[in-house]
Amino acid sequence: MIPIEYFLALSGILFVIGVIGVLSKRNAIVVLMSIEIMLNAANINFVAFSAYYGNLNGAVFALVSIAIAAAEVAIGLAIIMNLYKTRDTISLDEINLLRW
Amino acid sequence: MMDYGAIYPEIILILFAVAIPALHMLIKSSRALAGISLVGIAASIGMVVYYMLNGYPSIIGNPDAPLLSFDALAAVFSLVFLSVAFVVVLASARYVEKDRHLAEYFTLIMMATAGMMLVSSAQDLLTIYIGIEIASMATYALVAFRKKDKRGSEAAVKYVIIGGMSSALSLYGISLLFGVTGTTNLIGINAALASQGVDLAALMALALLLAGFGFKIAIVPFHMWAPDVYEGATAPISAFLAAGSKKMGLVVLFKVFIVGLIAIKADWDIVVGIVAVLTMTIGNVIALSQTNMKRMLAYSSIGQAGYMLMAIPLATVVGDYAITGGIFHIITHAFMKGGAFIVVAAMAYVAIGESIADYKGLGKRAPFMAFSMTMFMFALAGIPPLSGFMSKVVLLSASVQAAEVTQWMIWLGVALVLNSALSLYYYVRVIKYMYVEKGETDAKIKVPVTLTAAIAICLVATIGLGLFFDPVLELCSEAARTLFPALGA
Repeated sequence: MIPIEYFLALSGILFVIGVIGVLSKRNAIVVLMSIEIMLNAANINFVAFSAYYGNLNGAVFALVSIAIAAAEVAIGLAIIMNLYKTRDTISLDEINLLRW
Repeated sequence: MMDYGAIYPEIILILFAVAIPALHMLIKSSRALAGISLVGIAASIGMVVYYMLNGYPSIIGNPDAPLLSFDALAAVFSLVFLSVAFVVVLASARYVEKDRHLAEYFTLIMMATAGMMLVSSAQDLLTIYIGIEIASMATYALVAFRKKDKRGSEAAVKYVIIGGMSSALSLYGISLLFGVTGTTNLIGINAALASQGVDLAALMALALLLAGFGFKIAIVPFHMWAPDVYEGATAPISAFLAAGSKKMGLVVLFKVFIVGLIAIKADWDIVVGIVAVLTMTIGNVIALSQTNMKRMLAYSSIGQAGYMLMAIPLATVVGDYAITGGIFHIITHAFMKGGAFIVVAAMAYVAIGESIADYKGLGKRAPFMAFSMTMFMFALAGIPPLSGFMSKVVLLSASVQAAEVTQWMIWLGVALVLNSALSLYYYVRVIKYMYVEKGETDAKIKVPVTLTAAIAICLVATIGLGLFFDPVLELCSEAARTLFPALGA
């Protein structure tokens, strides 16, 4: 069996990649993809811990969160497309009508 | 056979929510659709009240590790969310009549409310997460409701990205917590943490959960999205976000921190305390310089969220009394902030701008609107005998009580008082514009009756909760006790 630390390292690396992506990328779709990487990092954790403890709660949580992530992408892409229609851009740097 | 009584209020709401788009094929009038939604919301309120009078339904899930339990806390918060939804739908009946996709608008409001109610009765991180996501996704779409509106679509993109990031952070926190304790049930997590103590992974989970849920409530330093979204969304939706969605985040924090993480309170009480003080101070200070009404109200909600957050560190010392204050402030804030946003909506409907300067001479032009706005502003600032005063008093006395045991907690009370004084400046500025400054014209403004009715409900609640607070406070205290099973609910 693969030791649990390997899974944790993988999920940790994925999570950090996701956070860096969200913070540094300016394209809304790439940011959405980075968020997905973060969500999947959490799913790896759930499944790994679920196997480690031998209870299925974590696996169920991972399944539910995959479904939710799919819904989130659907609505996120729809909203980004709407932005493209009204403003002709999906760059987060160029949307600045609202500021203090 | 499993008894699903605990989710009947949500089921009623969802049935109506899915029926409305179908009915839209037959009925075109926005007023009729809003009427049907109001019936659905009222039916759900009836179900909640029935449970409050006749005893609560059995829990869903394993008795040792419940998934959902409709208890006093869930009942109180369900009533708050449902009344906010009721007021918002009532105000929207005329507000959105010229828009397309009316049916979806009402459906989404009811779906979001159902998600929030699910959160309020959740006892497991799984159900909390599902509830949050149902409510969040519905509100993402609501913010983007006016598809042609440039500011609305910008606000929706910001909201969706921040919301997605916040749920990713909290999900990673949940997964770490699951790894540390081997369960996702709040009571189980607490028991496991109490027996095995704190390690680095638990602290990381704590930080991620605070950040993830903090984004939802817009606590400092995770608040930058809130003013943009509240300004870009249509005004009734801003009311819904400030009065409903934000309160959902607070219920989550109450549940997660007081039920799930109380065993390791020594590791988080001061952090949450500092965050609360920062939130109220920064929210109020930035609100001082705002000239857009919605933006000012958004910053003021950030400040008010700080007052509610204060209840969590205080609860580690004085227990249910602090949470009682927190819940009472959540209730009063829902009505005063909701009402203020709906006045802004009414003004937007009659084509008066959103800038504070546009409200000049409103006292003459629309006496009822100006009077209600004055009451909401005074209540938000905490002037007696309005509701905002009473809830702040409870929080303040909790902080004085807590200071007898833990000295630094007096500073939470001091910050509350100083911030209330500071906030008076920008609240009163609105009143000055409405009554003292002379407007360009004296023409009377005619506001549709549904908007007036929605404002009247908020006004009655704001004044009534300030004068007759005893029964409500009793209810809040009963609700708060359910978070502390050791006290005996």
